[in-house]
Amino acid sequence: MSMRTRTAIPTWELVLCVLIVAAGVWSSKLSPYYLSIDQIFESTRHFIIPGLLALGLAMVVSTGEIDISLASIVAVGTVALSKLAAAGFSIYVAAPIVIVIGALCGTLNGVLVARYGLPSLAVTLGTMGAYRGLAFIVGSEVGYTDFDDSFLWIGSEKLFGDIVPISFCVFVTAAIGVWLLMHRTFFGRHCFSIGLNPDASWFAGVEVVKVKIRTYALAGALAGIAALVWVGQYGSARGDNADGSILFVVTAVVLGGMDINGGRGTISGVVLSLLLLGTIRNGMGLANFGGPTQTVVLGVLLVGGVLRPALAATLARLRRHTSDKQAGA
Amino acid sequence: MKNKLFAALGAGLLMAGLAITPSLVEAKDSGFKIMMTPKWTGFPYFELTGEGAKAAAKELGDELIYAGADHAEASLQVETLQNFVTQKPDGIILSAIDLNAVAPVLKNARKKGIAVATYDADAAVPARDMFVNQLSYEQAARVMLDCALIDVPEGGEIAFIAASPTSPNHMAHIKIMTNLTQTEDKYKVFKVVDTQFANDDDAKSYDVAVNLMQAHPNLKVIISSSAVSAPAAARAIEASGHVGKVYATGFALPSAIKRYLENGSEKAFAFWDPWELGYVTAYALHEKMAGKFQPTEGAVLTVEKVGTFKTAKDGEVVYGKPLIFTKDTVEKYKF
Repeated sequence: MSMRTRTAIPTWELVLCVLIVAAGVWSSKLSPYYLSIDQIFESTRHFIIPGLLALGLAMVVSTGEIDISLASIVAVGTVALSKLAAAGFSIYVAAPIVIVIGALCGTLNGVLVARYGLPSLAVTLGTMGAYRGLAFIVGSEVGYTDFDDSFLWIGSEKLFGDIVPISFCVFVTAAIGVWLLMHRTFFGRHCFSIGLNPDASWFAGVEVVKVKIRTYALAGALAGIAALVWVGQYGSARGDNADGSILFVVTAVVLGGMDINGGRGTISGVVLSLLLLGTIRNGMGLANFGGPTQTVVLGVLLVGGVLRPALAATLARLRRHTSDKQAGA
Repeated sequence: MKNKLFAALGAGLLMAGLAITPSLVEAKDSGFKIMMTPKWTGFPYFELTGEGAKAAAKELGDELIYAGADHAEASLQVETLQNFVTQKPDGIILSAIDLNAVAPVLKNARKKGIAVATYDADAAVPARDMFVNQLSYEQAARVMLDCALIDVPEGGEIAFIAASPTSPNHMAHIKIMTNLTQTEDKYKVFKVVDTQFANDDDAKSYDVAVNLMQAHPNLKVIISSSAVSAPAAARAIEASGHVGKVYATGFALPSAIKRYLENGSEKAFAFWDPWELGYVTAYALHEKMAGKFQPTEGAVLTVEKVGTFKTAKDGEVVYGKPLIFTKDTVEKYKF
């Protein structure tokens, strides 16, 4: 045991995979309705919107910052889409505009955080309220529902023999895109290096401010896409859209193994944690668990996600301890 | 081995044949599976509607499952409803958070032959079979003015607190109440002086109530259809030393206003019986599923032990039994 082997697949992702399978087995024990391809794909619908936000948040978190205004940007996006639809624009014009609006909201966050060096939690707490307020002023609480079918396509139609929701395909595409960006390009490496040590990155020639602003803009753009999915799925645009969903998003990112202080983590971990949370919620929902019970289970998982690095360190120390003993013997 | 296989196949075919025999797919009149979700679970008002519905289901030989998220969010409610549809119930009961957001999943449910009833808060009309409305707008307006008459029989200036200018039921109540104070002798003693908005928010309602009392020195009654704003106004009256000069009334849960009624700072509030509302909703849905009741305009629903209820247009069954709580009666209600 003197030679230490490095595993190719990160251990946390493996743990998540095992947990997903366990959650699937548990869910099928809980409810006879769980185990069906139709049902499982149908249930993914409810994770597309938080999932898109989690991908964006993961990028921001990799640089050591945070963005809790993303759910409010979704509301800005949905009411903007409703105004465009009411003005008679087609989806092909309206959709890019909404994504750009999302990116602009994100850029504003990024400029305040990166250029002016303000604490990201405070900035995005402020813009969370400001964007939500804006959505209420523009959209009012009555909301808009006269969307044309072309606006609903992304959230209501299915592909491959009427099984796979289009919104799921949108999420898979976005996940692959973000994965490539974060793990296969200079941009991604710069993000993680900034998260580890912004000063060292700056000395090494990384444009810290620009990179950070870009992560915020991309997260905002993903929130814009999430707004399109929201309208497609619910056919309703109101100021309170997606209110209160940010906690779930943060849970997914932290449980996925992203270090909340930046510099460490993988996009595949975030996707796996979304699958895990989705499976658990689907199973509990089908078994008609009470709302408070579900919240407790998700809360325990969040705490578990936060404690994970500490637990891993303890385990590593124990292992070293035993292997040292063995080496000594 | 082979013989066994054939035997099993034969048995399977026989069973499949039995299953499609018409005599077995006749409409049943009991043993329905009903699934119910409120705006959010854990809130005493909604829990009581759930208990009422369960009681009705039990008496009628149905099964009723009550579930939902612990906070009011449209996307979570849609998820709950989707989970319901997957479990293939005969009927669904809900109180809608966003009348339009729940429409697609409910339409899909109805396409699959699931009967849908809303109560407390309606969904878009094509998305459900019926809406069991606790009180009609007119009834609600009248019962609130009646409470104001208990507070100050001689009348005087009154002001309203609504959630927002876009909240449909609150604004309708205010319009009808204003009308009644101009047209009906009984209510002519009142003069409407102001309408303010507080977004169903406790702190905001408190501030608004204080402002109203400052702005209108002769104000007698603050009326709100919001179960959040009415108790907050009562608190503001007590805290700002206006007890006996100004009264708050409107819709409030008895548990929220009990202490004001008991210490004499307030005289009357109104609500309806949530247990019975749930009971009537489940009963109505059962009758619909059993083919004994069609919620068309003018149709009458007879609920044993409770009474008869008329159907208005668009499948709106009006429950319409307001309750007024006073010092002497508030003790009876546990919600």
